[in-house]
Amino acid sequence: MEILTQVFTISLIAAILRTTAPILLVALGGAFTTKAGIFNIGLEGQMLMGAFFGVLGSMWTGSALGGLVFGVTASVLMAVIFSVFVVTLRANEVVVGLALNIMAGGLTISLTKAIFGVRGSIVNPAIVGMPRIHVPLIHDIRPLGQILSGYTPLVYTAFALVFLVWVILFRTRLGLYIRVTGEKPEAAQSLGIRTARMQHIASLICGVLAGAAGVHLSLGYIVMFAENMSSGRGFMAVAVLIFSGGDPVKVLLGCLLFGFADAASLRLQTMGVSSYLVLMVPFVVSVSALFLLSWRQRPKIIRETLQHLTAPVVAKGQGS
Amino acid sequence: MAADIAADFAIEMIGITKRFGPLTANRDVSFAVRKGEIHALVGENGAGKTTLMNVLFGMHLPDSGQIKVNGAQVEITSPQVAIGLGLGMVHQHFKLVPSLTVAENIFLGMEIVRGGLIDSASQVAAVRALSASSGLAVDPTRVVRDLSVGSEQRVEILKVLARGARIVILDEPTAVLTPQEGRDLFRTLRGFTDQGMTVILISHHLDEVLEVSDTVTVLRDGAVIGTEPAKGLTEARLAQMMVGRPVDFGRKRRDGTAGAPVLTLTRIHARDDRGLPALMDVSLTVHAGEIVAIAGVDGNGQTELAEVVAGLRGPSYGRMNLNGRDIAGAPADIVRGAGLAHVPADRLVRGVDVQASIMSNILMGRQDSSAFSKGGMIRWGRVRAEAAALIKRFDIRTQGPDASVKSLSGGNMQKVVLAREFSQGKQFLLIDQPTRGVDIGATEGIHDEIMRRRAEGVAILLISVQLDECMKLADRLLVMFQGCLVAELDPKTVTVNEIGLHMMGASHNRKASA
Amino acid sequence: MTDIPLARPERHVPVWAQGLIGQMLALLIALAGGAVIIWLVGESPLHVYEVLLRGALGSAENVAGSLLQATPIIVCGVAACVALRGGLFNIGVEGQLYVGGFAAAWVGFTLNLPAGLHVVVGLGAGMLAGALWIILPAIMRARFNANEVVSTILMNYVAVLLTSYLTIAVFKRPGGWSETAPIAQTAYLPQLMDGSRVNLGLIIGLALALGLYLFLRYTGAGYAVSTMGSNPKFAAYGGVRVKRNIVAVLLTSGAIGGLAGGIETLGVHRRFMEGFAPGFGFDGVIAALLANGNPLGVVVAALFFGALRKGSLLMEVETGASREIITVIQALIILCVSAQILIRRRGGISGEKRWKF
Repeated sequence: MEILTQVFTISLIAAILRTTAPILLVALGGAFTTKAGIFNIGLEGQMLMGAFFGVLGSMWTGSALGGLVFGVTASVLMAVIFSVFVVTLRANEVVVGLALNIMAGGLTISLTKAIFGVRGSIVNPAIVGMPRIHVPLIHDIRPLGQILSGYTPLVYTAFALVFLVWVILFRTRLGLYIRVTGEKPEAAQSLGIRTARMQHIASLICGVLAGAAGVHLSLGYIVMFAENMSSGRGFMAVAVLIFSGGDPVKVLLGCLLFGFADAASLRLQTMGVSSYLVLMVPFVVSVSALFLLSWRQRPKIIRETLQHLTAPVVAKGQGS
Repeated sequence: MAADIAADFAIEMIGITKRFGPLTANRDVSFAVRKGEIHALVGENGAGKTTLMNVLFGMHLPDSGQIKVNGAQVEITSPQVAIGLGLGMVHQHFKLVPSLTVAENIFLGMEIVRGGLIDSASQVAAVRALSASSGLAVDPTRVVRDLSVGSEQRVEILKVLARGARIVILDEPTAVLTPQEGRDLFRTLRGFTDQGMTVILISHHLDEVLEVSDTVTVLRDGAVIGTEPAKGLTEARLAQMMVGRPVDFGRKRRDGTAGAPVLTLTRIHARDDRGLPALMDVSLTVHAGEIVAIAGVDGNGQTELAEVVAGLRGPSYGRMNLNGRDIAGAPADIVRGAGLAHVPADRLVRGVDVQASIMSNILMGRQDSSAFSKGGMIRWGRVRAEAAALIKRFDIRTQGPDASVKSLSGGNMQKVVLAREFSQGKQFLLIDQPTRGVDIGATEGIHDEIMRRRAEGVAILLISVQLDECMKLADRLLVMFQGCLVAELDPKTVTVNEIGLHMMGASHNRKASA
Repeated sequence: MTDIPLARPERHVPVWAQGLIGQMLALLIALAGGAVIIWLVGESPLHVYEVLLRGALGSAENVAGSLLQATPIIVCGVAACVALRGGLFNIGVEGQLYVGGFAAAWVGFTLNLPAGLHVVVGLGAGMLAGALWIILPAIMRARFNANEVVSTILMNYVAVLLTSYLTIAVFKRPGGWSETAPIAQTAYLPQLMDGSRVNLGLIIGLALALGLYLFLRYTGAGYAVSTMGSNPKFAAYGGVRVKRNIVAVLLTSGAIGGLAGGIETLGVHRRFMEGFAPGFGFDGVIAALLANGNPLGVVVAALFFGALRKGSLLMEVETGASREIITVIQALIILCVSAQILIRRRGGISGEKRWKF
């Protein structure tokens, strides 16, 4: 019995890490655009394109790496369109992001039908999935190996990137310029920093990571493409970005929360809870987190006024 | 000391013309600055000072004319070229990044990088050295968000020095400083010229121009009116050169006595957007037919005070009474209903809707009043008639009530705000920076209009960072420092120096330590 | 550069005409882009467009079908438009459509009410559900500035899953396939003509659009709302209660979104089915954006999108292209419009409306 519960938790941890990876990847990409001052609602579409072209590339090249290259390229293309419209043409970022998301949905379905002649999903033995990495030494140590070994490369990449993104944003010139662009563009411009270029670069990096996240969806643990398979993860990432402000460590914490919600809800499903309710859990968690954290971040004045209203001491009555 | 090297110019701008569409901002301007002098460039808003300096600094390309730096003809196509030539500009609105440290701000764009990472230790050391050699005291490791305005300005100047500037341009540097801080700044600038550097000072504060500069150039309507040594010039003469006619600098003549209290604030406390205390224990009364002015350095709680009075920010404590009605924490519509008219500090942000028509802007605040609506429906015909009448009365230069506000000049936009707020017959007028960005000619008109309201018995609370404006208009002068009212002064007898001391919190600190 | 007057030489083409010309141009570019996509999926663009046109307008029945498709888009478009004019994005119309549709259907198959009243109660339930669905995002936006774009999007997913759950796990028609029991005849929304399911919803949608137009243009409350959308600080300064208005605007928007769902279930499907109205909410949002927040323009855009949808059904039969190709075209239209409006307005001054492109 004791052993059972232990296995239960260990495999849950492994599941959390697995489900956290894609949303972490896309959110870390979004950290760059967030810091550069762009509200990037287009992450969802970029991920979806990454997932679709990942499958296509994997089939055409016969390798998962080929899939990754294809998927990332498609997603970067979306990112370029996004930043050309938003940065160069100064179109509204919500409108452009929304349009690109809709386009990604329509395009992937249309192409699925055009190429495979089917609707819905692409399941094909020719799709090569990502390999699992067995970390030497650790793999065979019982509990540790189960937690730390046996994931696809993108899972390891995602967690390593938390540190790397932090270094880039806070210790390198590129990161500094990106942050300044988002925080005070006129200061950056007055010193010759090309803010538009910084925003384009941020969007490109974001496209790369969003594409990788998409490829993880379609070539990682499930090897297939299904229509709208990003299923809101891009939007959850945007929610994480809103309350983390793009800070990589807070992004990690937020994503782990969703990873947990995802993994725990899958467990609920095996316990017989309706899959519809189970699928709702991550969305409910993310929207609740968004509300809770904006409530916590509310200006103190409101908190004080609330206290003021409940406190019996009122200024009125004190004459002058 | 500069006279014997008269031919040795740091800057020569010859025959500069710069047009923006139909408007000529600089017309055949020739402007020369000798090495090692402080050269003041004065003129009204819109006279072309800023444009000329933007041309010099490479932010605009001139349509014709040439520029020489240290005797060599140059083409300044971008600020980077200007910086390369040893020019540096301290903008009126600081361009600092709040979340970065002083050292990071100073080295922004020219970071010391080692192994791909920014070497902050070296940057801090370099700023310490520069701070010591220039006499500008700052702590390089502090985050700019926590600095005072005076320190921010020192960081801006250090930024320019760190880039090797030998010719420093300062745009209205004293606008945000107390008179005493201003004097410290001038001492620093004099130190620069003693080291052989050159300073160009853009200003419209005539007294400080005469006090600090060696030479003065006056611009009017985009053209040079004259360049003269500061010695021998008077304020009156300078003003006449700037405006083209004699200007009345005296206090406004006033008659009538103050009536009953209209606005009373009792022990008001409030917090700013970040939740920090912004107003502490503010009590004041404004009577009918009286102008009470709040003087102070920008950012000492004036914004919050205006917002609290206007019903845009709830006080955390205290009592407010307008025309006998309790308005503490009441929303703006209730306060307006109790008799408030309000000219806000930043008209583009708060005073107008630039996308909408003049007519629509005139309506704001009265869309539910019986004069302009019936059964919930707006009577646009009446609104149009009112707008047309106000355009005439306030001399707003426009095509008509349907013209959009964004088609107006800054001064005319301000007139739209004044027209709306002054014409409603309200008993209390809150006026925040009424002449910011308005030229001297229009300023006089606005001041006359304010005095007329006073004569009609309106109670007026004037908030201004312009000391001369406060002294010219006020019946009583209150000084604000760090969210407190620290002094009540009589503008008839007080000196600028005395006000300055209060603005720096001298009296406040004495009180606190006592 | 405060020195320079902001006046620009006025062009002689009136503003509305400039807008229209720009919109048409954007449409043409988008159709050309769509042609490229169609060519990429291996079809003849001309043929596909011809089939689309024929499918949408080729016969009286097809026109009626287009109107049927346009009906929910008009209503959803008005819903999005209300929010847009108040300076807010309600991207959650889709979710409100779903919960509104379900609530109306529930009234239809559960309650026993006389004809007429049953319809009114059903639509009312739909509106109530739609408003309730947005009440949290609305309050959090008004009080704590929680981003309404993301919260309403996330609520969409919850709405779709929740209604599916209720349909399949709780109210499934015995022997049926992911649908509820049919609604009572008393709850049928009257149809406008024989042989087509075009119903009263179309009239409701048109009336809502016209009403919103008049409201914004002629009433004090409408003035307050549109000024808030244009410059919220100015509105607050002038005495508009911005927080209260944000909640009111979003609740209204949500209620109209819910109404759209009610119209679909009571007027067309007469039951609630899983995935009963995919994408109508998003189409409405797009229509509102394309019309730049003008309620009458929303009707035009919605009619166009409705025709595209109807045409796409025939397209899928006669050509190899998937009907989702039209969503690609719609996205292209929005992109072109968002770019061209900005190009026209470049160099403008601050205070730009948040909801404008």
